Amino acid sequence: MHIQELILRLQRFWADRGCLIGQPYDLEKGAGTMNPLTFFGALGSRPWNVAYVEPSRRPADGRYGENPFRVYKHLQFQVILKPSPAKVQDLYIESLEALGIDLSKHDLRFEEDNWESPSLGAWGVGWQVVLDGMEISQFTYFQQVGGLDCRPVSAELTYGIERICMFLGGYDNIFDLVHGEVKTDDGVFPVTYGQMRQREEFELSAYSFEHADLDLHRHLFDAFEKEGWHLLNDLGHFLSAYEQALKMSHTFNVLDARGAVSTTERPGIIKRVRDLACGCAKAYLEHQEGAAAAAETAGKGGAK
Amino acid sequence: MSATKTFLLELHCEEIPARFLQPLADEFSTALSAWIQGQGLAAASLESFYSPRKLAWRGIGLPGSQPDQTDTQVGPPQRMCVGEDGQPTIQGLKFAEKWGVAFSAVRFEQPAGKKEPCAVVTITKQGRPTVDLLAEALPGLIAGLHVPKAMRWGSSEFEFVRPIRNILCLFGDQVVPITVDGVAATDSTWGHRLYHRQHPGPVRIPTPESYESALETAGVVVSVEARRTRIAQQLETLAAEAKGRVVADAELLDTLAEIVEFPKIVRGDFPVDFLELPKEVLVTSLREHQKSFCIEGPGGALLPHFLTAANRTDDPAGFVKAGNEWVLKARLYDARFFFAEDRKHPLSDRLEKLKALTFQRELGSYHDKTGRVVALTKALATKLSKDDEHIDRALEAARMAKCDLRTLMVGEFPELQGVMGGEYLKHEGAHEEVWMAVKEHYRPIGADDAVPSTPMGCLLSLCDKLDTVAGCFAVGLIPSGSKDPLALRRAGQGIVRILWERGWAFTPADLIAAGLRVVGTRATKPAPETTEALLTFFKDRVAYQLEQAGYAGSVRRSALAAGWEDLADLKARCEALSAFAEDVRFASLAQSAKRIGNILKDELASGDFDSALLTQGEEKVLAEHLGRLEATADQKALLGALAELAEPLEAFFNAVMVKCDDPALRAARLSLLHRLRQAFLRVADFSLWQ
Repeated sequence: MHIQELILRLQRFWADRGCLIGQPYDLEKGAGTMNPLTFFGALGSRPWNVAYVEPSRRPADGRYGENPFRVYKHLQFQVILKPSPAKVQDLYIESLEALGIDLSKHDLRFEEDNWESPSLGAWGVGWQVVLDGMEISQFTYFQQVGGLDCRPVSAELTYGIERICMFLGGYDNIFDLVHGEVKTDDGVFPVTYGQMRQREEFELSAYSFEHADLDLHRHLFDAFEKEGWHLLNDLGHFLSAYEQALKMSHTFNVLDARGAVSTTERPGIIKRVRDLACGCAKAYLEHQEGAAAAAETAGKGGAK
Repeated sequence: MSATKTFLLELHCEEIPARFLQPLADEFSTALSAWIQGQGLAAASLESFYSPRKLAWRGIGLPGSQPDQTDTQVGPPQRMCVGEDGQPTIQGLKFAEKWGVAFSAVRFEQPAGKKEPCAVVTITKQGRPTVDLLAEALPGLIAGLHVPKAMRWGSSEFEFVRPIRNILCLFGDQVVPITVDGVAATDSTWGHRLYHRQHPGPVRIPTPESYESALETAGVVVSVEARRTRIAQQLETLAAEAKGRVVADAELLDTLAEIVEFPKIVRGDFPVDFLELPKEVLVTSLREHQKSFCIEGPGGALLPHFLTAANRTDDPAGFVKAGNEWVLKARLYDARFFFAEDRKHPLSDRLEKLKALTFQRELGSYHDKTGRVVALTKALATKLSKDDEHIDRALEAARMAKCDLRTLMVGEFPELQGVMGGEYLKHEGAHEEVWMAVKEHYRPIGADDAVPSTPMGCLLSLCDKLDTVAGCFAVGLIPSGSKDPLALRRAGQGIVRILWERGWAFTPADLIAAGLRVVGTRATKPAPETTEALLTFFKDRVAYQLEQAGYAGSVRRSALAAGWEDLADLKARCEALSAFAEDVRFASLAQSAKRIGNILKDELASGDFDSALLTQGEEKVLAEHLGRLEATADQKALLGALAELAEPLEAFFNAVMVKCDDPALRAARLSLLHRLRQAFLRVADFSLWQ
């Protein structure tokens, strides 16, 4: 199956089951969870179903486009269901069937894999979903996000798009995957993942392992942090402040891939990202509660 | 008496983490069994079941209701309850009223301890139906389970290990009406997901007794033992078909039995060229990443196949095999990448990088540790060998021992520490002694593991562990009770095992001194205090070693009490004592030894005596034996000599009165016994023999 076909089918499937179809957030990030649609969406009591694709960057996983299985940037398909439905596992299984996986012929297992993001102050419990021995999804019941308890609890489903495509097509090399076909008057031209991304993998790996300016990144990390706290504390702006936290997180990942972060430094640096993210989460909830209270007062006023 | 019934409770959940299944099943069994007893009920047996989505308990032979309980109450004397007219008095009526009976039900009897007949009533408290008691108690028992990593789901505040989706609860053929977090119990449950593709509704369980068979029909083998047995059988058959045998791994077998509801073992293959990876890397990668077993050929070399468990009955399209092969190839590709990358630089390049890897806050980095282990190795190696080249190789091994902690492969598979260092050194053409020593220096990893196979490996292992133990004690990190986060006891046990098996003449005191010398100024506790704590620690380890070696309790106690620091000597004594314990003369000797102990208890006996003072034949014989005994150096011979002493000792005690009136003779006899006891104590303290 082509990558774009897989994405389209997942979007159709989840839209049909009452999810908003969101868009990737236009900042570098390590996982779809960091998208505000999830980070803020999982907080508070408002019902929230959303699905979207998220390109996710992991600088340390870069392999210069030479490793057939590992890449600097991959695509996640992320679904948030809040509150988690009673039949959430069945829904997920149906989504696999929508991708053409005939489960009567495969081995599907849910194996314990608890998720934690120290830089988001978030954790949950759940599974890695294993199909014929391969992890194809991460399935998490969020317990905390931004240091705050999730009430109600969201279920987060994350599909590894390239992996599933490779698996379904029996590909031995990620760069051989077909993204889709370009049709022109002259004919049909399949476009591979390699054509679209291999050079990018090379350059971004080289950047994060060799060329990224360490002093610049250390400076950036501090500057983003300062900016973030200014936005949050002085203006009460949690969305723009959260963007600074995302930038800090990516900057840290680059420094880490360059081997510039020692084991002893690491927890302290992650905590600085987490503190800002948690501050944003708290401000968001306060804002939501304030808005709800205001709406209630306005409602009462109208009735009088 | 009402007929007994069987109780069944099943919590059907979303997939429960394998590691929690058995603990939860056991904990609830304990709680349930305590509750049953507390209710005055009894069950013939209580068993538990679990599978990835189920936790279940079945109690056989529970009565339909609690037994009626009778209670006898004693009231005032008869004369106060019945008037002279034979009518009940107010006091009598009040007593009957208090216990809710008519006065006619009051009897008059003289209870034990009373001087006259008193009013007595027998109250019968009717037992309640078991099903009602269960219905009341179960929700609390379930909510009271201690769940190590509890979660919430949906909009509920209820916490459990994973969401509960169905409850099956029967008492006989009757549903026990309980509700937990909005889920009401029924007489039905769910089978394997694949089964329900054709059978959409839940599976009815008509009786608790038919639980396993009904579920087996629905694709679930609910007994973990049954799953384990089936897996083991399939593994064996498939390995034999591949002309090899399974590389045994009991822990992996348990894991597989816990992650499938219906086990099907599938054999897959991987490209032959991956066999160039070290065997340990393949076995670890297959186990950690794919929960798969390796197959080895007759010579012990791996075959390019693996065995893994699928959660279904078959593999009709070959997808399970193909999928696992595909994933494994990706994993092995990674392993080969690490293996190649790591070898681009000599292992020694990592020595410098160990500076950035903390061993322990006060004790510094792994680079610091390496320095100490090298120093220790030097101190001890020079006592074991005079060959300078050999000593140099031991020092080389000590320098390289921790370098693999900075390799990619050990970063990926921490359990390959040591093994990879050894493999890389081997590839670099290091001396076999050196790479073997590095490879095995973490051994013995547990009580079941062997010590390193070479003397140099043993020395390195000993020095590494000694540094860890002495260093941690010196900075106050001493294991206590069940707390031993740094596994110092295991390290200490390893040291004792190595000394025990190698027969090296280092005493714990020697080692402690050497260990503390290299820790030097990093120590935060005074050396005498640390030394004392370490001596106690090592004595416990030695005692445990004797237990592990299988000596009887009496042998261990009496041998240890006669000295524990010289391990080779202790071992010889234990061996000799164990052999001798079977000898009929031994019981008599032990008896006499105790008697000597008792006689000498309150006496001051000097060691010297004039043998000319001894008059009786029995004591003269004894004195001759003593002379021979004291001249015998060898333990075994000494025990032989002791055995021959049994009869003369017995004769001595029968004929000779030790504490006689003549003070000089008495002193001589006491001294004779004192010297005999000293001779015994060279082997064992028989007063501790039981």
